[in-house]
Amino acid sequence: MRVLDSMYEVRFHGRGGQGAVMAAQTLAEAAVLDGYHAQAFPYFGAERRGAPVKAFARIDKGRITLKSQIYHPDMLVLLDDTLPDIEPVAEGLKPEGAAVINTIMAPEEYDLGISVITTTVDATTIALEKLKAPIVNTSILGAMARAQDIVSIDSIVKAIQDKFGEKLGPRAAKMNSEAAREAYQSARTGRCKGDRPIVQKDQWLPDWDQIPIGVSLPTTQVGGVVVGPGSAWQNQVGTWRTSSPHYDIDKCIRCLRCWWSCPEGTIKRQEDDHMKFDYRYCKGCGICAQICPVDAIEMIRGVKTW
Amino acid sequence: MVTKVISADHAVAWGVRLGRVEVIPGFPITPQTLIMEQLSEFINDGEFDADFIPGESEHSVMSIAVGASAGGVRTFTATSSQGLALMHEMLYAPPQIRLPIVMVNVNRSLGAASGIWLEHNDSMPERESGWLQVYVEDNQEALDMVIQGFRIAEDERVMMPIMICLDGFVLSHTVEKVEVPEQAEVDRFLPKFKPMNMLDPADPRLINPLVPPEYAMEMRYQLDRAMDDSRIVIKEVDEAYARAFGRGYGGLFDTYQMEDAEFALLSLGTATTTARGVVDELRSKGKKAGLIKMRFMRPFPEKELLEATKDLKALGVFDRSVGFNSFGPVFTEVRGALRPLRLQITDHIAGLGGRDLTLEEMRDIFARIEESLSGRAERDVYWYGLRGRQR
Ligand code: SF4
Ligand code: SF4
Repeated sequence: MRVLDSMYEVRFHGRGGQGAVMAAQTLAEAAVLDGYHAQAFPYFGAERRGAPVKAFARIDKGRITLKSQIYHPDMLVLLDDTLPDIEPVAEGLKPEGAAVINTIMAPEEYDLGISVITTTVDATTIALEKLKAPIVNTSILGAMARAQDIVSIDSIVKAIQDKFGEKLGPRAAKMNSEAAREAYQSARTGRCKGDRPIVQKDQWLPDWDQIPIGVSLPTTQVGGVVVGPGSAWQNQVGTWRTSSPHYDIDKCIRCLRCWWSCPEGTIKRQEDDHMKFDYRYCKGCGICAQICPVDAIEMIRGVKTW
Repeated sequence: MVTKVISADHAVAWGVRLGRVEVIPGFPITPQTLIMEQLSEFINDGEFDADFIPGESEHSVMSIAVGASAGGVRTFTATSSQGLALMHEMLYAPPQIRLPIVMVNVNRSLGAASGIWLEHNDSMPERESGWLQVYVEDNQEALDMVIQGFRIAEDERVMMPIMICLDGFVLSHTVEKVEVPEQAEVDRFLPKFKPMNMLDPADPRLINPLVPPEYAMEMRYQLDRAMDDSRIVIKEVDEAYARAFGRGYGGLFDTYQMEDAEFALLSLGTATTTARGVVDELRSKGKKAGLIKMRFMRPFPEKELLEATKDLKALGVFDRSVGFNSFGPVFTEVRGALRPLRLQITDHIAGLGGRDLTLEEMRDIFARIEESLSGRAERDVYWYGLRGRQR
């Protein structure tokens, strides 16, 4: 293990439900086990299943003297390899920094938008095998142990055991440690491609004297960004989902439960009370499939439409 | 002692558990929720013997706390933002009845024009409610202050409630290394609660009756003096804590690189951490920068601040809330206290409504203060991260 000469910063990008925050916290705990000071925190927003989320971790030899978000990470961690399509995830990554990505691709095949030393791992498959759920944070932690020489795999496994053992019991601790060790073994390191432009997000950021007075917004578009009521309608969350609801009209008993349960208004009630799904608004939360009393809705992995 | 990597909210819960609190009324509100969740878990798992009483609102929570504390048991609660505002009416009861309740307020902006994020405009208006009020910087201090808080509040020279404020999310949801003391160590430090006046059927008494004009003024003055006396108790308790646990926080406020400082920032909460880093940077360039870590807004350490700043040439004050058409509340109080000094004092407002306070902004703050060394500042109050020209 190398001894740190300056503060080391890690930024995690994932989707709500994948465990990005827990990954950041576990890394911090592992760093403390290795004798460092560390802090970890989520991006402070409302976390929604499937939505892009961020988390941060800082590691240093001495007391950490910074309490802001991380804008120029030394390491970037992607728990979902489709995020660069919709979020400027690579922004600010130091050119001499590193990336760890959950993908089936080899490092050389993956285009991050900036070419850096990259470690890839198929964390989703490992998680599905070991944990029977696509919660990829512990596998990605294993790959992170391979990708840097500051925090050791043994400390990461110990931190996983502490954290998951305390929360979910010894069985979960064991399975998650196994997932981390397997990812550590199977991770591959190389240099990723930096060909694609980093996507820019449209955000409405007016000066103080340009904001309508009274915390009240009309239905307006400013520079192509919807800022008023109806933004949910215009905000297509279909890119968030990692699995898609498949509806079987023959099984459906027209109980309407899915229709009023969908948080996004994706499900449209038809004349005869059967359902139609508008997949542009489906974030893949799976509530409809859970609530259906006759299993007429099944969640299928991937961004699918029918 | 056990080392844990936990959030400030969880650190608070550990402080409450180690402090052997007996009654915890609570109502959940983001970002305070992790405190109540962790405490409920401790109780549910049989690790902590306290009564958790869910109130139907924060107003009820403070009412329950008043009843419990007057019943002679150690009482804790926590809230945030709108919850604190809803409590406002009941906040005025415990100071004057002399009930040493400890409450954590996880700072969050009070609406409208707000969400769930950090601002100090929830706790600052409660400075005149009669509660002692302290702001902490990190998770360790959050835990330590809960334990110190009970000893300060329950000291017979004080017997007043204390509000411990910690920055929402930036602290409440950030995990850091925290040393959790052993129960036996805390038991040695924190004696059993000895109530002053107690609701006891064997010794009936009237608590908080209607008070006519013949007495109210004297009672106010009693409270005013007790608040003043608490300055001494705060220092004593911090020193005793440092002896027992090896960690002290300077009491009313702490100083960093102030011995020969020419210009300094007075900040509170998590901003202090970033400010400390910038002072280090400036010092490495040979600049005489310093830092005052403000802790207690009540009691307000007027005399102590005068002494600490007497050789300074320029002072900036950090505010994470606004007094409209004037200055931030911390600035207003600090400038009032330091009036005799003819010191160049400027107000620096940043990080409102959860806006991230960046390293660049903190460097800017110090740059503005350094500029004011010349004896005149471009303006009295500066906003950072504001889009559009400040006029
Ligand atoms: S359709 Fe189903 S999976 Fe899609 S958002 Fe609605 S409830 Fe969630
Ligand atoms: S919940 Fe199932 S059965 Fe009920 S309407 Fe929806 S698909 Fe049909």
